Amino acid sequence: MKNNCNLCSPNLLCERRVDATAPTMAWLPKALLAALAVAGSSGCTMLGAKPWEHDLLAEHSMQIDSYPLETTIDDHIYFSKEGSSGGRSFAGGGCGCN
Amino acid sequence: MQLKAKTGTTTPGVRRALAAAAAGLLASGHAKAQDAPVEQPSTTIDSALLFYHEVNRVQAIEPEVNVSHKIDEDSTFIFGIAADSLTGATPLGAVPSTLPQTYVRPYKVIPLGTPVTVTSASGGSTVVIIPPPTGAKTQTLGASTTVPPNTYPLDRGFYDQRVAAHLGWEQALTQTLKLDGGVAYSKEHDYRSESVHVGLSQDFNAHNTTVSAAVNYESNLSFPIGGTPAPLTVMNADWKGPDASLHEVDAVVGITQVMSRRWLATLSYSYSDAHGYQTDPYKIVSVVDPVSGQPTEQLYESRPDLRRKQSLFFDNKIHLPSDVIAASMRAYKDDWGIKSVTADLRYRWQMGPDYYLEPHLRYYSQGAAAFFHYYLVSGEAIPEYASADTRLAKFHAQTYGLKFGMPVDETSEVNVRIEYYDQHGNGSPAGAIGQLQQQNLFPDLKAFTLLFGFTYAF
Amino acid sequence: MRFDAAAEALTSPRWTATAERHDRATQFTAMASPCLVLVDTPDDWVGAEIGEIVKAEALRIEAKFSRYRPSVITNINQNSGRSIEVDAETADLIDYSVLCYNLSDGLFDITSGALRRAWTFDGSGTVPAAARLRQVLECVGWHRVTWNRPALTLAAGMELDFGGIGKEYAVDRALALAQEHTSTALLVNFGGDLRVSGPRRDGSAWRVAIEDVDRAGTAAGLLELSRGALATSGDTYRHVLKDGARYGHVLDPRTGWPVVDAPRAVTVHADTCTEAGLLAKLALLRGAGAEDFLKLEKVRAWCSR
Repeated sequence: MKNNCNLCSPNLLCERRVDATAPTMAWLPKALLAALAVAGSSGCTMLGAKPWEHDLLAEHSMQIDSYPLETTIDDHIYFSKEGSSGGRSFAGGGCGCN
Repeated sequence: MQLKAKTGTTTPGVRRALAAAAAGLLASGHAKAQDAPVEQPSTTIDSALLFYHEVNRVQAIEPEVNVSHKIDEDSTFIFGIAADSLTGATPLGAVPSTLPQTYVRPYKVIPLGTPVTVTSASGGSTVVIIPPPTGAKTQTLGASTTVPPNTYPLDRGFYDQRVAAHLGWEQALTQTLKLDGGVAYSKEHDYRSESVHVGLSQDFNAHNTTVSAAVNYESNLSFPIGGTPAPLTVMNADWKGPDASLHEVDAVVGITQVMSRRWLATLSYSYSDAHGYQTDPYKIVSVVDPVSGQPTEQLYESRPDLRRKQSLFFDNKIHLPSDVIAASMRAYKDDWGIKSVTADLRYRWQMGPDYYLEPHLRYYSQGAAAFFHYYLVSGEAIPEYASADTRLAKFHAQTYGLKFGMPVDETSEVNVRIEYYDQHGNGSPAGAIGQLQQQNLFPDLKAFTLLFGFTYAF
Repeated sequence: MRFDAAAEALTSPRWTATAERHDRATQFTAMASPCLVLVDTPDDWVGAEIGEIVKAEALRIEAKFSRYRPSVITNINQNSGRSIEVDAETADLIDYSVLCYNLSDGLFDITSGALRRAWTFDGSGTVPAAARLRQVLECVGWHRVTWNRPALTLAAGMELDFGGIGKEYAVDRALALAQEHTSTALLVNFGGDLRVSGPRRDGSAWRVAIEDVDRAGTAAGLLELSRGALATSGDTYRHVLKDGARYGHVLDPRTGWPVVDAPRAVTVHADTCTEAGLLAKLALLRGAGAEDFLKLEKVRAWCSR
């Protein structure tokens, strides 16, 4: 059954659909499920969402950096008070504050 | 009641016409949240005003504006400016003492013979005239500060004004490949920075996976008031050395993955390599008497010329039925010996269709740089590098914040954020000598942030 | 929408859906009716999410076409006599209503709500005076409306009422919206007007029961539904017996008088709820000729008298 994918052969595309939580896996927390999918990589594309399931991801608050100006300001404050910097991306331009 | 099915025989048009009409009515996609279709805005103005206040230390005000304009479907032009004004007091790096301490630094150079009328410089320091060497044509004025006993030494004359600007461009090369680049410039009264960056990102798996890489090159120049002091020399009011430069290259690679309809995750690794002057030209390290712990002299600090940093960053956005969780972690280490972890959690509580409330928690913990010393001991060998800047010390910090946001219309938002930052280090390190045992060598840093944001898209 | 609960909700016997144990159900009230969403999934989040989406859409349409609260409809009705520009969704509904008006030779008319002013149906059995009825009829009739999409001009004193199509339209819209978010099987039931996305996940049909007209709350019949929609129009609970004829509360907009000898309830099965609802109302409006109309049009329907 297309929706009931526990193990995927390298050629089988398993669609992760909203309704496709197979009964046997219903008890697994989704995070663990995703981690297993990544760890047990056998070319199986279990991660992701169908194009029509990208509705929530399109929301402003779901962007990885939804408030870039705030992030820049925060990063600048922490850069001037702490010993680490960066990680996320680089704000353009340094300052003499560390 | 009897249910009797009735079916017809011949076909006249009402049913068919109705079926077609109903299909037509329902085909038009009106089932969306708003009645009128919202045109995607092509220009977004993002603005913010920051008020920053450290208890007994630095205060800052910073306005910032970013404009992003979509020229067409594939290209976006970005422009931004920021200005900040800082005043207040900042730690000198020296240790407190049971005796009053005086610190003097170069203030101004004037031609010999000019009458000196000003008696005080910024931060309540006193102007002192330094006797010029014979034959000199100019003389130096110094600024002298006295710190009372048992007080953590701060430079009260700290001030800085900075203006920064950046320009950027984003270009979609194909449906899945995007190029972006930009330049930035920042100038303060004693520092200048210029940088350029370029990045590439590629989507896979029907935009479920994005792999990206970017490189940044930064060139900085430091021209401190009073000149650049020679490392680990005695603090005095003599005019110091010339401008000093710093060059840094950073690279970031990342992968962003749609984990499910509700969960977006990103993992990135960054590496950076800095060559050049990285010392703080205003900060000092105290040399103390090995028995009494009293400071005997103050030396300018010295940091290595080379710094290689690495960090691993993991960020998540999770959409619950109406709320959103943002959780991230960062692990950092560099070859100065600093290691740190950062954990950041935000919960966006969508109160109704419009406004939201977002509490925020951040935890940060860092280990000390290898050359960090609370103080040096007289008689012992002076190390090659030494700094008493507590920003390089071992400490942990928590941030507690709350943000409130409200949409102005479909594409614009106004928000306000208040945060409290509490940095705590070890003010009584083991092995402290003499009078230093009763001093707080690392007072807590507490700061409040008030940030107003306004995003307007049209 | 006619939110007079007595008139609307008790007009016709209601279809109710039987939930299986694992269905995720969301219940709420909208358009003066008990509403139910059944999602055939073991995933609580999906069930709750879809329930919320359907509920939001029902409330949106209710608010947009409310006759009582400030809405598109109240704006139109308060500005009768003037030209009003309407949005695309309202325009589409008006276009559809015009088609129905033409197809039914004027029997279905969204301006007929004004007849309320003459007929009160308070149980006293009184009928309005002929003069009063003539007066009210001046404000009824689509032929008095100027419609040049998107500009609508009602003659002064007229009013629009989407009560005859609103609930069924909402069922279709809400289902379509829910289907954009999931491909799992679901059933949307707004006060007896219902539609299913298809058969259940395991291929079996949804079970729906019709209320007994004589004994409210008891099931008179069971139906297994695998596709399409059900809509019911009825005249059961309010009528006036006069001179041997049973006058229901469904009024013929051409004469201003109640339809005579209409079935007590007509249930139609069609692909969409909008279509089913219109066919049911058209059948009812033909009074004694309801069954013949349905037979002629080859409609899958049930009449009860």
